[in-house]
Formats: sequence, structure tokens, C-alpha cells
Amino acid sequence: MLSTLLSQIVNGLVTGALIGLIALGYTMVYGIIQLINFAHGEIFMVGSYGGLAMFTYLMPTAIQNQWYFALPLLLIAGAAVSVAVAVLMERFAYRPLRNAPRLAPLITALGVSVALQEAVRVFYPGATAALPFPKAFVEGTWEIPVPGGTVPLRWTGLLIIVTALVLTFALNTFVNNSRMGRAMRATSQDRDVARLMGIDPDRVIVLTFVLGAALAGVAGVLNGVDLGFTNIDLGFQNGIFAFTAAVLGGIGSIKGAVAGGFAIGLVKALGGQYLPGGTAYDYVWIFVVLIAVLVFRPQGFFGETERVRA
Amino acid sequence: MTAIEKDPVVEPAAVEAPRGRLAGLAPYATALRAAGGLLTVVGAYLPWATFVLNDGPYPEKATLEFFTAPLGVSGFRLHLLVFGIAAIVLAFVPAVPARGRILRALGWGVVAVSVVNGMYITTQGGGFGAITAADGAVAFGAIVALIGGAVLLVGAFAGGLEGHARWGRPLGRFVEWALLLVIYALLLLLVAAVLTSGGQGSVANPYSGAVFLSFLGALGGLLAALHSAGVVTWVTGMSERHRAYSAIVLLAVALLLPLTAAGTQYWMTVAANIGVYAATAIGLNIVVGLAGLLDLGYVAFLGIGAVVAANFSGATAARFDIVLPFPLVMVISAVVAGIFGAIVGSPTLRVRGDYLAIVTLAFGEIFVRSSQNNIGGLTGGSNAIPGIPPVTAFGQPFNESLTIGSVELPAGALYYFLIVVIVAAVMAVFGNLKNSRLGRAWIAIREDEDAARAMGIRTGPVKILAFMIGATLAGLAGAFFAHKTGTVSYESFRFLESVTLLAAVILGGMGTIPGAVLGASILFVLPEKLREFADYRLLIFGIALVLIMRFRPQGLVPDAHRRAELAPQSEPPPPDGSTGPAAAKVAAS
Amino acid sequence: MSFLEVRNLTVAYGAIQAVRGVTFSVEKGQIVSLIGSNGAGKTTTLRTISGLLRPVSGEILLDGKPIHKLPAHEILGLGVSHSPEGRRLFARMTVEENLRLGAYSRNDEAGIVEDLDRIYAMFPVLGERRRNKAGLFSGGEQQMLAIGRALMSQPKLLMLDEPSMGLSPIMTQQIFDTVRDLRAQGTTVLLVEQNALSALALSDRGYVIDLGRTTLSGTGRELLADPRVQEAYLGEGVAG
Repeated sequence: MLSTLLSQIVNGLVTGALIGLIALGYTMVYGIIQLINFAHGEIFMVGSYGGLAMFTYLMPTAIQNQWYFALPLLLIAGAAVSVAVAVLMERFAYRPLRNAPRLAPLITALGVSVALQEAVRVFYPGATAALPFPKAFVEGTWEIPVPGGTVPLRWTGLLIIVTALVLTFALNTFVNNSRMGRAMRATSQDRDVARLMGIDPDRVIVLTFVLGAALAGVAGVLNGVDLGFTNIDLGFQNGIFAFTAAVLGGIGSIKGAVAGGFAIGLVKALGGQYLPGGTAYDYVWIFVVLIAVLVFRPQGFFGETERVRA
Repeated sequence: MTAIEKDPVVEPAAVEAPRGRLAGLAPYATALRAAGGLLTVVGAYLPWATFVLNDGPYPEKATLEFFTAPLGVSGFRLHLLVFGIAAIVLAFVPAVPARGRILRALGWGVVAVSVVNGMYITTQGGGFGAITAADGAVAFGAIVALIGGAVLLVGAFAGGLEGHARWGRPLGRFVEWALLLVIYALLLLLVAAVLTSGGQGSVANPYSGAVFLSFLGALGGLLAALHSAGVVTWVTGMSERHRAYSAIVLLAVALLLPLTAAGTQYWMTVAANIGVYAATAIGLNIVVGLAGLLDLGYVAFLGIGAVVAANFSGATAARFDIVLPFPLVMVISAVVAGIFGAIVGSPTLRVRGDYLAIVTLAFGEIFVRSSQNNIGGLTGGSNAIPGIPPVTAFGQPFNESLTIGSVELPAGALYYFLIVVIVAAVMAVFGNLKNSRLGRAWIAIREDEDAARAMGIRTGPVKILAFMIGATLAGLAGAFFAHKTGTVSYESFRFLESVTLLAAVILGGMGTIPGAVLGASILFVLPEKLREFADYRLLIFGIALVLIMRFRPQGLVPDAHRRAELAPQSEPPPPDGSTGPAAAKVAAS
Repeated sequence: MSFLEVRNLTVAYGAIQAVRGVTFSVEKGQIVSLIGSNGAGKTTTLRTISGLLRPVSGEILLDGKPIHKLPAHEILGLGVSHSPEGRRLFARMTVEENLRLGAYSRNDEAGIVEDLDRIYAMFPVLGERRRNKAGLFSGGEQQMLAIGRALMSQPKLLMLDEPSMGLSPIMTQQIFDTVRDLRAQGTTVLLVEQNALSALALSDRGYVIDLGRTTLSGTGRELLADPRVQEAYLGEGVAG
């Protein structure tokens, strides 16, 4: 059925756009300090709770139902909370280990991930179970007519795709054309020489965390708006998918991260539809892809041609 | 010429000079040390809480005890009293070697004990009134003792820290044997005391966590003090000289645990669980500690072993109608897990470092997902495989109590015996491998894979072998686990369990046997004790992981021969004597 | 008071002391060379001056003010620019991006553009290929770019580490000519070279570093004439 296939592709693109937004944070941080920031998935999760907190505790009821006021506020709150957490995390967990052997920061990242998830569960009222998230956008779907039926695309899904593309474009422009963007690229290529250029690597690294976290926070809020709920375990799962996407796209590459996100989204949607086992096994296919990519093409599909550490 | 000039830099000074700001206090070191000890003693006798908690056993008395019962203090206050008196004595006896280090260890112990108890009383009593003055009652014990500990520490540092004491030339063989026997017996009592201290955590016994942590803090201080005094080194030296004897006696001593205070069904179960994770952690230690390959999906092998065992157990949900004898099941589980280990390890041929960690994580997640979906009808899916019968031998089910003559063994003791034997076997495997050709190849790969290859080591098969052997050991433990718990569910083998096992290995010290056992014990005993903090368990766990990596990445029992992959690079080798403070820090966090 | 003074510098990598008592000074407007064999500690000395390494002991004074406790980016802000050994260009960036990174500490866009043009005039080959990736250039062109990048911060003191390394004799000559021109324009240059002959011929002053210590000093001419220097370092240079 064509409409089924197209519907799954649309689903895949929505999921993929979201994963791509998270993957940007992985790819940038890895590009600069070669750290797999396991906790980045939790930064995404924390962002959704930041948005939720803004809605529940701060937002005047008068504008709660007017999405064009509510949504921007949610996004700002989500991004702000994510950024704050990420900056603290960088300062107190990762920076002291800047010159430590590689295993140490990786294990620290695992610890931060567990701690963040648990901190939200313990301290956010009601977070022990999934919490309803405000549907602060146009509800309903756009039924795209195709031969033999229609393909539904949720308006929130469209919002996610558009936002992801716009933010990726903005980020790409920033990194490639601005002074700070140049400093980021310089730091990732050769940190010592970047220091000789007068660049303070600590500032650049913080900036990298800030950018990645802001995108993840936005993704967290958008995901909540789309699903209508949020939960503390969303971070880990999506974080792993996003990491897969970042590797798939060639770690360090911004366009690659988003392309990888779309690829992962499509694998999940189409694998769940057409591969044996159905949706129960869609996660499994993503992990299979992850293993295959790491084993056979660790430099990814869009990355620089030079060898990434094998 | 070059070498001569290098020496002054490399060689650590005999006495570590007092640090920075403390240097000015050096003339007052003795006075500070004595004052710290005195304050600690005073703190031990002062009342600690302005109220009596729930009429419970904690803290035992809320009043000044010196006049009513000068010799009657007990529990944490007794520990403080002993530490305080020891500190005062040490302050004035100059002949003791490594005096500064011992005092530092005592100081950390005092700090840990007073912080744990003070914080507990504060939270239970609702604010600082509980440890200061409220409702006409005064109780400054916690604060005075804490200040005592702090002053003691300042005094210890101000006087400068010497190197560790070393003493004792080899005695006669039989004297050493006798000494070791006594020491191991004491060790048994100590283990039993640690296990039972504070009792079983529950709603009825909310004190268990604090009593336990306080005990751990005191114990950490004591052990660190003994280590500084050279006792630990002396004992290890002796046991190294009599390896076979030590192994046999330790095994026998471990088997005696059911006859101590810990000989109840509850503690036997806890001890058996610790055994399962200790065995698994030692297996993981081969992969991570020896070969340096980070495995984030390791618990899947425990799961595979358990699933295999469950399917041959005769449980109603088992896939196969064959019931095999337990020893055979163990072998099959281990073999199957080993095969999967080879599969999971095969990407190491192409992938290194943190990418390899992600590959193993992905394999682990595939296992969890597949078993959640009851793949092939083998795992029971979300229903799990319940009703796995206990192991039986000679008509005696292992989960029931047993009376032999006049000795009554509590229920679970047989499982405990079994796991002790399994852990011993796993230790033997690990110990022999570590010192074998293969072990040296692993260590070479860990230090520098390219160099290892250049030396002619076939790194590919050697790395896969590490995964295989590690997985085999986990599979063995998994078979035991399935029968002991009676249920196998994918829930027990999630990512977090892998992280916990990894944390156990790292906390204990990578590449060492005592490290893995110690780490597994700490990580799996603490939740039992801290039931009232159950909600915060994982939060504390995560934070602790971060703190360990920051302050003691080489673990509590670092591998002496290891060019510590996780240790700070630019600093001289860290003093081993800080075991105490580190333990206390973990305990207090 | 000298422009740059290094006093009794000791630097260690972990337990290994690479520099153990280097002392020298640089006057304004001079070219000063540090020469010595491989592993003598010259590069370590430069890395310490620019703030990439922290000394164990000793002092580095710039215009009389100690700078050895400052981070690298602040030292650059004081007018010390360091072109590292092996050039270390940002290979995946264009010529212009590399030069602009050299000017990272500056905010005067007009001045930066002016200086870009100055560099392009100095090294026309860079101007012609300003949009090309730096990694694609030949060794000599890369060295020009490295010097240009170091100049973009408008340094008062330019430190060049082995600028002739791997270059043809013609190219080496061209680079040294450039260094001489820079002095003429008022830039102070601290040069580290294994090619002792060319370096001393160019220098107002030279210091010999051996096993991490300054062992000899003098004007370029004096050192060239010194038999000890000739024996130890110039054998190759004279022959070549």
C-alpha cells in the first residue's frame, strides 16, 4: 500500500527530525572534546520538564490556551533549563577531567545521566510517572492526498520537521561563518594551536554545550507537545538513537547529524512496519544499524574523509 | 648524568611537607592533634540529640553519659571514644612510625562518623535544633565531634605526613600460619559485623542506614589507620608468601559465615546475591580491568546464562521439557554465554575505545528488547519465567534450612555455600589468567594495542577471548542466579545493571580481585541497608560515580602493577593510605 | 630592562624535566635565536612562554611584568604570538579562515581586513588562493601562512619555532628574508632553529641551549665564530 508506506515515511521523518535535533549536541561535543556525552539525552529530557514547569507553575492561565503565546514561552523555558543544567554539568563533572584518560569522562557521563534522570524523578512533583504535557500547538492532522488514500501528518509533526531544519541551518551558518564558530572549529581541530590564537578553549567548550543543550531543550518541549506527555525515561532512549544518528552522519558533522537523524527515524518507522517482529522490534533494528555502522563505517556517511578514531 | 639529575624529581620526599597554608601551623601540630582527640572524646560523651527518636535504639541516649555511665558508651559513640583516645595517645608518642598518616586516617574516621550521625539526627529531628538546642535540651555532641575531627585533620597535616610504615621481617612459617589464621578469623567476624550492623533496613528499623554508614565510616578510618601503620601491607605480604594456605583458610572462613551473627535467612540471601554480582564483576574485570575493553552491556551475559538455566529447569514456562541436572545446566549456560561473548566481542577486531563501548551497549539493549518481547518463546517476555525450582542435592532443596547434628544452618545457607565455591572458582580463574601468557597479552593490549601487535601478539583472538571468558563466568553466575531467585525476567538485566557492575569494578579498583568483590559488596549491600533512602538510591549512585571519577579514579584497591589508566597522569602515584577517607566519602554521600 | 626576560626556567612533563634552568633575554627590535640539538628544550621553552605549559619554577617577564602564570589567550593579548613547530595550520579551513583565526583576539574589522591585505601582499601566493583549504598547500606555502597567521594578532614579539623545517634551501632563504623584513618593520622576533648557521647569521643575539640549560650566549657573529658552537652545531650547516 502506497499510503501506508508514505505514512511510515512521514512518521519516520518526524521522529528523525527530533532525533536529529538531539544528535547535533552529541556531534558538536564529540567534535570538540571527543566525549560521548551520555547525559545529553537527559538534557533533552530535562528540557521537556523545564517547559512543563513553565506551563504549570509560571504561565498565566489566560495565555495557556493560546499556543502562539504559550509555545514560545515553553520553548524558551525548556532551552533555558537545558542550558543551565548542561553548563553546570560541564563545569563540575567534565571540566575537572579535561586531561584524564578517556574512560574517566565516559563513566562520569554515565553517572551524570543516571543522576539527572533520578533528580527529576525524585524532585519534580509527579515525575515518578508520565506527566501530561500541554498540546501547545495546532492539534489535528494534515491529510495529504496520495493515490489510493491519504497520508496523515500531525501539525505538531510538521512543526518538528520545520523547526529542526531551520535550527540546523542557523547552527550551520553560525559555525561556518561567525567568529565564535571559527573558534569552535579551530578548537576541535587543534586545541593547543587554538589557544595560541587567543582562543580560550574552556569558553568555546561551554559554548558548545550551551548550543547543543538549547537545541535539545527545544526538542524536549516539541516532543512533549507532539506526544502530549513527557516521561523521565525518554531521555536515555532518544539519547542513544541520537548518538546513533550522529555516528551514522559522521561524528563532528552538523549536516550529517540531521541526515543521520532522518535515517534513524526511517529505519524505526519502516522497520517497525515491514520487518519481522513489527513495532516491538523497531528499537532492535536501530541498534543493529548502530553496530553495523560502527563496525563497518565508523567515519559515518557524511563525515570528513579523514579517519575518525576507529 | 641525566639520570642523576632526574632523581630528585622522581623520588617522593620522605616526609610530605605540610601543605600551603597549614605550614604555619607546624609548631602547634602536637597541640592540635591532642586537642582534636580531646574534643572527639568530649563529643562522644556529650548528648547527640535533643529528643529521643521513636523510642528506637538510636541514638541510644540523649543525655550526657559521662557521669552516669563513663564506660557505658556504645555504638558510634564508642567508636569516637576509641578514636579520640587513640589520637591523644599518638599525639604524645613520637616513636610511632607514620604517625601523621595514622592521625589523618583517624581524623577522617571521626569526621565521617560525626557527619553521618549528625546529618541523620538533623533530618530525623527536623532541623538543626535536633543537634544543637531545642525544647530546653542541649545536644552538641555531633558538632563538637566534627570540630574534633577537623582539628585532628589540621593537626595531622600541619605536622607533615610521613611515608607508610613498613615493618616485620618474615617470621617462621608456622608462626605466620597461626597469625594468618587469627587474622582471617577476625576478618570473618568483621564481615559478619558489617553485614549485620544496623540490622535489616525496613520501615520498622529506619536506623539501619545511618548505623551502617557510621559503622562503615569508623571501619574505613580504622583500616586506613592500620594501612598507614603498615599492618595491611604486612598482612598482605604474609598472605602472598602463603598463597595456597591463605586460599584454603579464606575459603573455609567464608564457609563459616552462616555460623556467625549473619547466619539468618535474610543475610544468607543478601550474601548470596552479593556473591552473584561479585562473580559477575570479576568476569567483567577480565574484560575491562585486564584487557581494557569497556563493556556496557555485560549484564546480558548474566541474563543469557539465567535464561538458558531457566529453560532447562522444568519450570512451567520453560521452552524445553527437558530437566537437566544443575551442574550440567551450569556448564551449558556458561558455554552459551561464552558463545554470545565471542559474538559480542567480534567487533573488537575493527572497533576500539568508546565506540566499542557503544557497540557493547547496543548488544545489551538488543538482548533486553528481545527478551522483553519473549524472543523465540525463550524468555517469557514481560511475564518472565517464574517458578524455577530450587537446586536440590541428595533430596535437600537448597532454599531450606538444614540441620546437621547439632548445627542448624539457616535457609539459604546452602545457596551461600554454592556461591562461595563459584566465586572461589572464578577468582582462581581470574588469578591464574592474570599471571598467564594470555593475561600479559591482555595487559599489553590495554596499555598500547598497536605496540602489543608490533610485539607479535595476535590482538584479535586475544581480545575476543577476553570477552568469551568474561561472558562464560557471567553465564555461570546466571545459572545460579536463575535457580536461587526462582524467576528470570528481562528486568534484571537492564542497562543500569551493567552500569552498576561497571561501577563495582571501578569503585573496587580495576584489575584486582579484592577490588571487584569489595565494589560489588558495597554497591549491593548499601541498597539493602538504606531502604529508607530507597528513593534516592540511584541519584546517590549517579553522583557517587561522578565523584569517584573525580577524586579516586583508580578505585579503593588499586592494582599495584597497573600504569593506572584511570589515575591522574601528571601527579605522583597517590598514597594508598587514603582508602579510609575514600570509603568514608562514598559512605557519607 | 629587557623586553622579554626568561630567568631560570624549569619545565617538566610529569616527572621528566625538559627544561632545567634556561635564562635569556630579548631586547626590543632584535632577532634572537635559540639554537641547540634536538630535544634540548627549545620548543618547550617557547611553549612555556606562550602559556601552553606551566613552569615548575623560574620567571618569564614581559616588559618587566611576570606572565608565566597567565593562560595562553591572555599572553597573546599582551602581544606575544607563537607560530608552533610543524606549522600546525587548521588544515580543514581556508587560508583566509586561518588568517582570521590569527586575528581572533582583535575586534577592529577594518584593521583586520587591512592586515589581511598586507599579508597577501607579503605572500602573493596566499592571496591568490585565499579560498583554498590550508591542508592542500606545499610546505613552504604553509610556513608562509603560519607566519602570516601569527602576524595577524599584531604581535610585539613573534616567536617562530623551526620555520625552516622541511623546506628547500631556496624556500628557507625566503622565510629568513621575511624574518629580516619583519625586524625592519619593528617586530621583535624570537627564533628557534636547528639550522644554526642561517639563524645565527640573521640574529642580533643567540643562545645555545643544551640538555635543557642555556650554556652559551653572544651576538650572532660571536657565536658563529665560537669553536664550541662550530663543533657542536655548525658541522652540518657549514657543509650544507
